[in-house]
Amino acid sequence: MSELASESSNTAPAQRRPSASEGVRCELASEPVAEREDVLATATAAAPPPRRDPDRTEPLLVVDDLRIRFVGRGRTVHAVNGLSYSLAPGRTLAIIGESGSGKSVAARALMGLLPPTARVSGSARFDGTEMVGLSEREARRHRGADIAMVFQDPARSLNPTMRIGAQIAEAVRAHSDLPKAAAHRRAVELLSLVHLPAPQRRFHEYPHQLSGGMRQRVMIAIALAGEPRLLVADEATTALDVTTQAQIMELLLELQQRLGTAIVLISHDLGLAASYADDVVVMYAGRVVERARTADLFAHVRMPYTGALLGAIPRLEREPHSLLPVVPGQPPDLSALPRGCPFRPRCSSATDRCAEDPPLQEHEPGHWWACWHPLPDARPDAPAKEGV
Amino acid sequence: MTVPTATPAGTAPSDPRDDRAPGRLATVLASPGTRLVGKRVLLAVPIVVGVSILTFWVLNLIPGNAAQQLLGPEATAEQVRALEQELGLDQPGYVRYLDWLGAAVTGDLGTSLVSRQPVTALLGERLAVTGELVGLAFLVSLGLAVPVALLAAYRPGRMFDRVSMLVSITGLSVANYVLALLLVLLFAVELALFPAIGFVPLSQSVAGNLHSMALPVAAISFPLFCFYTRFLRGDLVDQLQGEDYITTARAKGIGPGQVLLRHAFRNSSFGLITVVGLNLGTLIGGTVIVEQIFALPGIGQLMLQAVNTRDFVVVQACVLVFAVVAVLANLVADLLYAVLDPRIRYGSR
Repeated sequence: MSELASESSNTAPAQRRPSASEGVRCELASEPVAEREDVLATATAAAPPPRRDPDRTEPLLVVDDLRIRFVGRGRTVHAVNGLSYSLAPGRTLAIIGESGSGKSVAARALMGLLPPTARVSGSARFDGTEMVGLSEREARRHRGADIAMVFQDPARSLNPTMRIGAQIAEAVRAHSDLPKAAAHRRAVELLSLVHLPAPQRRFHEYPHQLSGGMRQRVMIAIALAGEPRLLVADEATTALDVTTQAQIMELLLELQQRLGTAIVLISHDLGLAASYADDVVVMYAGRVVERARTADLFAHVRMPYTGALLGAIPRLEREPHSLLPVVPGQPPDLSALPRGCPFRPRCSSATDRCAEDPPLQEHEPGHWWACWHPLPDARPDAPAKEGV
Repeated sequence: MTVPTATPAGTAPSDPRDDRAPGRLATVLASPGTRLVGKRVLLAVPIVVGVSILTFWVLNLIPGNAAQQLLGPEATAEQVRALEQELGLDQPGYVRYLDWLGAAVTGDLGTSLVSRQPVTALLGERLAVTGELVGLAFLVSLGLAVPVALLAAYRPGRMFDRVSMLVSITGLSVANYVLALLLVLLFAVELALFPAIGFVPLSQSVAGNLHSMALPVAAISFPLFCFYTRFLRGDLVDQLQGEDYITTARAKGIGPGQVLLRHAFRNSSFGLITVVGLNLGTLIGGTVIVEQIFALPGIGQLMLQAVNTRDFVVVQACVLVFAVVAVLANLVADLLYAVLDPRIRYGSR
């Protein structure tokens, strides 16, 4: 991560845009070549072993049975109900779900950024350190330095009354005892690292003087200031137009290759996951309903909810003025979850059996789903690349 | 009295990089800051004129005039008529108003009908007393409210927060003149720590002056303190709990004190400045009763006496001062806001 400063002049953007089929490729500069080929080999193999296997790379983040509920006003909202995943260094995991599926809440829990009404249980180990149940003071040591976050709305996520340079320098100094002048220089370096034109001048500007995409670059610069090993992009491109969205994603991937940062991509956009993630977790009503490598998931969707989400993506080939197939019904009330499968009321293949909780199991190597009636394999219309 | 046409903020924050402009003066005149000040000052003129018309009209509705008051109930109708003629009170209302307005524009506020002193001289010393009272009240109330609100917002819902909220709600529900009487009862009558009435001029003794000002300042500043504490604490907690940039700041890993001071307080202070500006305008009029209770020779006391003697020249002048101060206070608050808040500062470019 020390090459960050020296490489800031080398601003040629990597022209890599992995599609679903090659999304599992991992180009960690710091990783030995042999290891990289190993990863490639396992990825292209027909049945890749699950990540849990005694791999040589220890996972950076292991989330196990994470549960979060919000208690207050006489009702309890069960936002996350047993979330498990793991993430290796330098990899990208997409967490996909509708609003209210618990994806953002789960990410904020990692950083201890939930309001005091939240009750978190389960486990989330970051590089061996348990993050659940940390005191505010302990959690603060990890925020920014180990795990950083880029938020959805860059217009609201930057302090409107502070110069952007000061906001970045503040993040730099949060975890180092750099003097002011050095933090200033570092902030300018970070601005050029995220390809903000004229960083020296932008340093002195206010957020409202920048465009949406530029603001999000500033947010990324802030996130990278503490040289984190994990970057959580919480709907980081949702508020941006499609072109800017692609540019920001390219930037994140380029920085990931350069710095070896692992990325958790939180989104409701399956297309984004298909294009940029190595692994995908699909969440519904606070639980994981399907989990697989990106290529496997999009080639062989098994959980009806994922299938319905895929079907709801508008496509050019579709007949003009035809109704967009939407997922019928409403997401369940998280304070009164139904028994059994939470998707049951909206699912076309639901039966009486679905009143019983379907366990999340590894039905195929590396492919997990929680459903009694999975979709038939190899659907012909499984898309490779969507949305963008 | 004329409305000032230039304020210190008249030299607007113009962009130093913008050196292609035709000339320095033209740049300043065309800058959005100057235009803002100009617009606001022009708007103030009809407000001040309107207030003076309204005052004049209301005074005319009160039965009895200065001539009758001066001569007393024993006077004959002839005597009253003669004095009315001498004072110009026999003229119709609009003529008298226009005469007054014409003189006022040139800075001549007339001569008191009762004491025959020039009104500007009367106002000068009175304004100094009221100015000191209001200035001290603001200093004390803000000086206490900001740290108390910050401490309360640092840990909302904890003991300190609850006690400070209880105190401020109590303070908000007590009018300042009731509080003034209670203070007199406790500190002047029972404990005999401070004088109940009387005023020691600043030129005579600073300590004596402050001693004589303590109770009136306390009476005015306590409700203000309560209001500012409540306002600022509420705004800070709203920022801390609802604003995304607070989450960003926390995600950087900086401490809660820094989040509070550098992020939340910075943004809350803009609202506070506006509120203080609005307060200043109403407060200078609100001192009337407190000055009366503590027998402070301020402008409020002067006005009350003038109303009783139907000295419309003095009443007019006092009301004019109140109106100008209120308008100016709002203007300064707006400009300060614009200087401090970068979104407004750069917004009109």
